[in-house]
This record gives sequence, C-alpha cells and structure tokens, in this order.
Amino acid sequence: MAMTRSQIETLDPATSSLTLSLDIGLYPRDVLYAAAYVFLDRAYVLLDRQDPRFVVHLRAKRPLDEATLQAMAGEFENELLAQALRHQVVDANQRIIEDVVAVAIAGAAGDVEESGGAGLEGAPLIDPADPEDGFVADPQGIARPWEPEKQGSE
Amino acid sequence: MTPPSGDTDAATIRLHRALYVEEAITEAAATFAGLASFAVRADGEHYIIDVTDIARDVDGDVVAEFCNFALANTARLQRSGHA
Repeated sequence: MAMTRSQIETLDPATSSLTLSLDIGLYPRDVLYAAAYVFLDRAYVLLDRQDPRFVVHLRAKRPLDEATLQAMAGEFENELLAQALRHQVVDANQRIIEDVVAVAIAGAAGDVEESGGAGLEGAPLIDPADPEDGFVADPQGIARPWEPEKQGSE
Repeated sequence: MTPPSGDTDAATIRLHRALYVEEAITEAAATFAGLASFAVRADGEHYIIDVTDIARDVDGDVVAEFCNFALANTARLQRSGHA
C-alpha cells in the first residue's frame, strides 16, 4: 500500500506503544502539536520527522492490549482532524474574534464610543412606550408554564 | 524508536529541531533538574539530550515525562509566538 495520509507503522502491545506516520502536507505542525497535547496525560509522546512525513511515537502510560492501542491510533487521527478544523475556523474568524475582543476590552475600560464602538451605553434596551417591545405582552405564550398543574395558578 | 525510557541510570534522547524548540527543552530540563542531569546539544537535524544521574526512587518514567514536558513547552511557546 502506498504511504499517503496517515498510517500505523508499528504497534506493539508488549510495550503498549505504536508509531504513526503522517503526511506533512496534510497536517500543519500546529495541528500536530495540538493533537499530541491532548494525549500527554495518557501517553508518552515523541514527535519526529522523516521527510516527507511526521512520525508520532506513542507509548501508553498503562498497559494496553492490541485493540485498545489501535483505538488510540484512531483517536489520535480523529484528534488531528478535529484540531485541523478548529485551526481553519480560527483562521477564518480571526478578524471577527479580534474585533469582538477589542470592543469588549474598550467597553470594560469605559471608552466604547471613543474607540469606534457601537455607542449603546445609556440607550434603553426596551422601549416602555411600545407594547410590542419587551416581554410583558408575551403573544407567543412563552412565559406560560408548560406543566398542567402550574398553568391554572399563573 | 519509542519514547525513551528511563529504566537505566542514563539515557540519550534525540528531538528533531524542526519540531522541538531549544528553549522548551531547557525549560523542561530545569523542571526535572531535581530528578536527573541534562546536557543539551545540537547535532545535525536533532537536539541530543544526554540524561544522567536519573533518580531511581521516583514513581514514573523520568525520561519519558521529560519528553512530554519538552513537547508541551514547545507547543505553548509556538502558540505564544516565541519560536
């Protein structure tokens, strides 16, 4: 079989260890760190590189049988995918995250308007003159208890 | 190569320079200074860490835990942009 994305290179229940190799082009280094970090509490992790692949050595901190070791390899690959997606989402939303944090910090410092924020300080959230604005009218019956025994008392 | 074991009084660890940060390794060495002696040097694509005087009366694998600390420190430093 051609070596492509990721595969188990070795698996040894006697030492509760396994070796995975990963395509460098598929998994950025930050993703590899993040996935490895998740396993530090239950395995000894050693990363290596043999171009063009990352090599991940895992040795469980307690004895594991072959099936559990194979499951651990699968979990590591799943974690790589999860971290890769997380990485992409953070990259895609970086600007939004920075803007939200900037407004929050500026708001806490009391200078929202000066820093170009929305300038909502002091503005009423509910217009008391508008019966449709707010929670008093409750046209959808959201505030009514759903339990039959409480419905009569409201 | 599996994560090295500290089952003897001395061990040699090879950490790839593209994946481990020297500062992270020296931090880990400082953390484990009471449990072993560490000498770090660069050799080609790897950092070579000679571990000696490994404490025997410790519950756990000192050398393998040291590797985990070096990896965790590297990940932290990379995230904070120090490396």
